[in-house]
Amino acid sequence: MTMGTETVSPLLQIAQVSHSFGGLHVLRGVDFGVPAGSLTGLIGPNGAGKSTLFNIISGFLAPQRGTVRFDGRDITRDTVQTRSRAGLVRTFQTPKVFGKLSVRENLMIGCYRHLASGVVGNMLRSSRSRGEMELMHARATEAGERFGLSEVMERPAGQVPAGMQRLVELARGYVTRPRLLMLDEPSSGLNTTEIGQLRELLQRLNREGITILLVSHDMQLVDVASRVHVLCFGSIIASGAMVQIKQDERVRQAYLGV
Amino acid sequence: MSLSLLFQSVLSGLTNGFVYGLVGLGLASIFRGTRIINAMQGDFALIGGITAVLLLERFGWPMAPAFAAAVAVGGIAGWLMEVLLIRPLRRRGGSEDSYLLLTLGVAFAVSALVLYTVGRDSHSLPGLGGEGIVVIGDAAIRTHALWLIAISLAAMGALRLFFAKTALGLSMMAAALDADGALTTGINVPLMRTLTFVLGGLVGGLAGVLVGPLVTVYFDMGLLLTLKGFAAAILGGLANPMGAIVGGVTLGLLESLAIVTVSSGYKDVIAMAILIVIMIAMPNGLLGRRLRKGG
Amino acid sequence: MPPLRRALVWGIPLLVWAALPFVATRHIVDLLVFAGLYTIAGLGVAFLLGQCGIVSLAQSVFYGIGAYCTAWFCAHKGLPSPVGAAAGIALSTAIAALVGWPILRLSGHFLALATLALGIIGQVLFLEWDWLTGGTLGIGGIPRIAPFGFAFDTPLRFYFLVWPIALLLLVLHHNLLHSRNGLALRAMRDSPEAAAVLGLDIHRLKVQMFVLSAALGSAAGSLFAHYVTFVSVDSFAVDRAISFLLLAVLGGVYTVWGPVLGALFITVLPQWLSRLGDIHAFVFAAALIAAVILLPEGFGGAIRNWWRARAPK
Repeated sequence: MTMGTETVSPLLQIAQVSHSFGGLHVLRGVDFGVPAGSLTGLIGPNGAGKSTLFNIISGFLAPQRGTVRFDGRDITRDTVQTRSRAGLVRTFQTPKVFGKLSVRENLMIGCYRHLASGVVGNMLRSSRSRGEMELMHARATEAGERFGLSEVMERPAGQVPAGMQRLVELARGYVTRPRLLMLDEPSSGLNTTEIGQLRELLQRLNREGITILLVSHDMQLVDVASRVHVLCFGSIIASGAMVQIKQDERVRQAYLGV
Repeated sequence: MSLSLLFQSVLSGLTNGFVYGLVGLGLASIFRGTRIINAMQGDFALIGGITAVLLLERFGWPMAPAFAAAVAVGGIAGWLMEVLLIRPLRRRGGSEDSYLLLTLGVAFAVSALVLYTVGRDSHSLPGLGGEGIVVIGDAAIRTHALWLIAISLAAMGALRLFFAKTALGLSMMAAALDADGALTTGINVPLMRTLTFVLGGLVGGLAGVLVGPLVTVYFDMGLLLTLKGFAAAILGGLANPMGAIVGGVTLGLLESLAIVTVSSGYKDVIAMAILIVIMIAMPNGLLGRRLRKGG
Repeated sequence: MPPLRRALVWGIPLLVWAALPFVATRHIVDLLVFAGLYTIAGLGVAFLLGQCGIVSLAQSVFYGIGAYCTAWFCAHKGLPSPVGAAAGIALSTAIAALVGWPILRLSGHFLALATLALGIIGQVLFLEWDWLTGGTLGIGGIPRIAPFGFAFDTPLRFYFLVWPIALLLLVLHHNLLHSRNGLALRAMRDSPEAAAVLGLDIHRLKVQMFVLSAALGSAAGSLFAHYVTFVSVDSFAVDRAISFLLLAVLGGVYTVWGPVLGALFITVLPQWLSRLGDIHAFVFAAALIAAVILLPEGFGGAIRNWWRARAPK
């Protein structure tokens, strides 16, 4: 009988991650874990190192020290694609949709990693190839409905309003059936109503079993997380439920300079 | 292999190397100034060379004015290209591919024009110091080749001074590093871009009149020269145009070595293979620094 | 589109195409055969540029490999034509995969110039390895394609061989564009980072496309060898690669049938200009420049945009 709070190792485990740019130490020995099925938040003031940490976890940057473990495996040196195929999918602060493709096509391409038709089969329009296109089409329609994009499915994604582009990116991530969905400042550019809608959406996705790691400096959004880690000047200064965090002295100092 | 043969090949490698270096210098200068890889840099050399040929043979000009005019024509060609072709493409939003295709197109056009007007024959140019040869030890090198090396070094030095000390040179550097910032300080950025191409054309034209006496001038010399110049520029590090001379000499020496160890027919194959290897293995040149994805 | 209209839109060009060689002179039909060959090779260059953003000047090498393999296996060894073509494709795709893997990690101008360097290497090797290729003397006596005794030995007959093949390949290309991998290609061009995040292996796709492009070049080369029955190095120099690139850009790399237009342009134009001497090379280059600046989507793209603009939506 264990006395610890978690007997199962977390889905994502960051251990002793450090990184510096030139002489600037951006991350110093960051340690935290994201349990499977949770909605975890990572907050911190600007310049705390959130983006760097995010890029390290998602594979766009290799840390100078430390490890990233996902689902029990060490993925520190894995490519972005490998991580994606393992189920670790991220969004970007400025939504990176495929602007020239339609919204529908954006959602369809989310299915890519699950399908396997080859180039030759595609050229010959094999039954597998055709079946895949139908599947992708259906999944896109379903995701479009769920995320409220049904009206704009056929429009080029680049011509859709910014708030909706964020939804497209999110929906596209959802279509990949991720194990862990990492969101990078998903609320930037959204008004209060939209942030509220995003909160509900995230809660719904989480209830369906998608683990979510939310990086944000927006307190209203992060409120939806069950556990929050605070990153300040490159290390985690506090972890816990949102309520505790708000009362933590160090956090207040970091955010309010009090 | 005898020592004198080795030495001879070092001398010829050195000579060729400086030509490649000059072409590379032009390429790197244009790249630094405009972020465009000028696929017709070698054809500036063709333009310079063929102008010298025409002035000397058809119009009977004396050598010095003809060479000087040929270099100037190279500069004019650079000016025309930037104003008539690059600017319109820029206005229409050119991508990296389209600039490349454009300069490739101009390379083919120049080559085809020379073919049409002058034909397929190679044309020789008189060298500086005529047919004179200087004997060093067991090997011989043409006087012209020594002039070539000296002039290349001088050109490199002059350019360095120009960019570091003159107001115009500094303005061009500023415009290249930060176009918007330069605009706010009153620098005419579009003009700076044009002048960058003029400079590239002048350096290219110079390469042409210098290499012409050694290898003759012919209609499709441009492409190969561009590629070798590009190899020189990468070896020296695209970020630093002066490095192209070092890169060129390195390439020239490697090429010469290959000729005496393998065979002269494969000379270009080896140079091209070296280019490919450099691009993959050291995109930042011999001094290599921060890792870039190449291009 | 209503069935009758559809039948007319497809049927009339088909009839024109079928009737053309019977009313045109033998010389024109010969040119049209070349247009067909160049369509096939040019398609390889076109989709590489249009779908992957890769400028390839190496297509002449694969064209040559296809031709020489056919020459070797069919002329020297007396084997049937499919063997030569298959050997050419096998060798071309192997080389494309081997060389493509490292160089396709390069981007932009580095890659384009690397393919140009490859083109030059190929040109020199074709010349130097004359024990294999016959050098400037070439290899002659390549047999015609003759299944069941019916020999494709005249321009007219070859016209009806090469164009159905070209058309088939265009259809296959169209299928690819509208498939999962076709979508992936467009996505990776649009935003490489987002594509990576979705698990797309961009590098692998590029290599696959390069290999496919080489296969097309080789197939065209094999057909070429069977048509002209004599091949020498002059046909496989860098200017051939330039022609392929030119026809791709002029015809338009974003439409499936663009290469057809481009190929027709570069085979028919020299004919018209022949009175003026060797000027066609300059005209081609000028056309390339004009296309890059004024018509970035080529003739094909311009026509398609015009067609779409007039259809009320």
